[in-house]
Amino acid sequence: MIRLVATRLATSVVTLFLAAFFVFFAVQALPGDVAQQLLGQNATPEAVATLRKQLGLDANVWQRFASWLGHAATGDFGTSLVSGQSVSSTIWTAFSHTLLIAVPAIIVGVTLPVLLGILAGARRGRATDSTISVVALVAMSIPEFVVATVLVLVFAIAIPVFPAVVLRGSAASFSELASAAVLPAVVLVVAMAAYIIRAMRSSTIDGLATEYATTAELKGVPRRRLLWRHVVPTAILPVLPVISINVAWLLGGVVVVESVFNYPGLGKLMIDSVSTRDLPVLQAIALLSALIYVLVNLAADLTALAADPRQRTLNRARRRRRRPTLEEVSG
Amino acid sequence: MSPSIDRRTLLAGAFGSVATLGLVACGAPPLQVPRQAATGTPRRGGTLRIARPAASAAETLDPASSLSAYEYLGALYNRLVRLDRAGQTVPDLASDWSSDADATTWSFRLRGGVRFHDGRALTARDVRYTISHILDPKTASPQAGPLELIKGVDAVDATTVRFRLKTPNAEFPSLLTAYQCYIIPEGSASTIGRTGIGTGPFVLDGFAPAGAGSVHANEDYFGGRATLDRIDFFSIQDTSARVNALLAHQVDLLSQTNLDNPTARVVAGSSGTTVARVANAQWYTMPMLATSKEFSDPRMRQAMKLAYDPRAILSTAIQGTGTAGWDNPVPPQLKDWLDLEREHDPDKARSILRTLGRENFRTRIYTSAYEPNLTPIATAYAAQAQQAGIRLQITNVAADSYYTQIWMQRPLMVSYWFTGRPVDQLLNQIFRSKSSYNESAWSNPRFDRLLDAARADTNDTTRRQKYQDAQRLIIEDGADMTPVFGDRLVGLSTNVVNYSEYGFEFDYLSLGLKEA
Repeated sequence: MIRLVATRLATSVVTLFLAAFFVFFAVQALPGDVAQQLLGQNATPEAVATLRKQLGLDANVWQRFASWLGHAATGDFGTSLVSGQSVSSTIWTAFSHTLLIAVPAIIVGVTLPVLLGILAGARRGRATDSTISVVALVAMSIPEFVVATVLVLVFAIAIPVFPAVVLRGSAASFSELASAAVLPAVVLVVAMAAYIIRAMRSSTIDGLATEYATTAELKGVPRRRLLWRHVVPTAILPVLPVISINVAWLLGGVVVVESVFNYPGLGKLMIDSVSTRDLPVLQAIALLSALIYVLVNLAADLTALAADPRQRTLNRARRRRRRPTLEEVSG
Repeated sequence: MSPSIDRRTLLAGAFGSVATLGLVACGAPPLQVPRQAATGTPRRGGTLRIARPAASAAETLDPASSLSAYEYLGALYNRLVRLDRAGQTVPDLASDWSSDADATTWSFRLRGGVRFHDGRALTARDVRYTISHILDPKTASPQAGPLELIKGVDAVDATTVRFRLKTPNAEFPSLLTAYQCYIIPEGSASTIGRTGIGTGPFVLDGFAPAGAGSVHANEDYFGGRATLDRIDFFSIQDTSARVNALLAHQVDLLSQTNLDNPTARVVAGSSGTTVARVANAQWYTMPMLATSKEFSDPRMRQAMKLAYDPRAILSTAIQGTGTAGWDNPVPPQLKDWLDLEREHDPDKARSILRTLGRENFRTRIYTSAYEPNLTPIATAYAAQAQQAGIRLQITNVAADSYYTQIWMQRPLMVSYWFTGRPVDQLLNQIFRSKSSYNESAWSNPRFDRLLDAARADTNDTTRRQKYQDAQRLIIEDGADMTPVFGDRLVGLSTNVVNYSEYGFEFDYLSLGLKEA
């Protein structure tokens, strides 16, 4: 298991490097650089040249990537080309704001759908199941920006319980952000619930149909006990990857949702940085998102490994079987 | 960026259908957008909240910069002179001005007793400093070009400032009305971007680039104290988020936001919010690149104009909220405007194309979601041009690179400017050969000579005649079509009174809130 973690961490370093590399050159390939984007209709050749010089954009592309990489390796992510602020502090502020939406959304958005999925699976074919399934299907088909708009119309404009947008940006106080975080969090829960419900439901149905479950039921194990003791622990395993992908997607900054609510999180920072071609900020966001993906997936795999003894033994068995083949090839 | 465009369109559609449903349900008559904002006696004091799209995180309070935070400027600073609604140059910090006989030396007398927010008295030296700051290549100010004709500025005494020009210019004062020409204190170039110390009706409390900021009333303002106590500014980038903030009563006014028609209906129909029009504030253009093989022939450009009726664009693309342009770039409210309805004759256009051997001419017309009316105008124009056999393929491209990749590079596109430039600057900056803002790359020596002659002409009547001849030349030969001037549809709370905006400035003095 230690070896597994070590390999995974090593590959993740490569992943991070590739993410940084591709983002850097993808942004380079976008039309217009920081100077042109900032100046817009005022981008006269003289003005662009002046600004480029001020921002140090006149250096060669590879040279700039190499120097960025060198600094990043020592933990220095530089300063934003647009605001001149330190990239690390800008990103951490935005990330902490995103966490304020993400953490409650993950807690509610994982437990509730898992429970609903189990319920639907256990009551397969009955009214509860069809209600849950239909609602999940509908929620899955509506894009999150529509959900966001509807929620704003209802809970911020028609019945003004929550604010429609965050006004003060990254200078907003905690209480201002906390009340503004409710609607975005609900949108995220709705967006990710459907997938988890559906995965959990089918997994529970499969679990209930296994031979050991049938045997247990025939032996007289009460249905509730059968479900929670014997079926759910195994049924949740195939759902873990679904959960981890959703969590990573969410933590990486939910771009659209944040921009609809003018919420000063990582997603909005990313939109603003893309539109101004602010490379240092984008690079750091790419690294952070890649890191989150890697870590969340690793966590999901380790949880699965810890929860399921079969996976550990299977791994070992497979390795033992594979070794002779490898020797044959090399010999 | 294309998903975000889709989203906007879809959201607008969603808003529109919500509005339509509401209308059908109540059986109400179609919504009308009010002609102008509510006027009346405001209550004294109060805080107004304005939502604005920030230029970028690099924005600054330095008025000379191309990255200036537009809304703050008029509240914090004053110019020497400003434009009134009819495009006349009127006093601001200068009480009067005069020139020598051939208009190469101009003297401005400053208003006495004006103080900056930090208590310093305004003197001619501050004016001299401001101009040199604008002209400094390091500032890269958009107004440096038009002011290049200044040879030197002298602070003659505390309240007299003299401009020596390289060439005579009878319209010189109008060039100082640009919103880059707000007067800043001497020696403040490196700090003005944050401090915002001016002479204006409001004093800066705080400012964060792309964030929130606020100003409070200047008790010693020479023009009298403002009605409001305070104005809060908030940055909201996403247009639909800005509209939501207004509908949820989190803000009172949306600046620099021209609402598209469906959204304007929603705002006008919701309780507590309404829509005001800023007449002819948006100048829409369709530059035909005069250097392209498509449009280098003046006859081809003439055919493109003859083919369409600007009144049709006005009624379909912007639903009557504006004025037909007839390819004259000067907005009708200006005193030097030439009232000329050029011919509209699709058959004549067709026969010109036949002579040129370009029957069934086809090309692309570029547009983008950069501004909500660009695509409706492109569509309406394409439909009109079809009557002359011109087939235009509407090509919608990403908004964030529209002005870096398409503008001044593709043969045909739809663009826009804010109106508010004085006639001399408008014609020289956007139509003169080789000017860096000449978006159609049109070059006509006769036109350039006409502008020079106008500048040298100190007789008001004959000078006006020359500016009108220049307009006629643009209509006949020019490469930049002006289909319409659009009213800006501004969303605001019904509590706001006396909102008005012209010449790149809000009327911050009388802006107020209704009696509670």
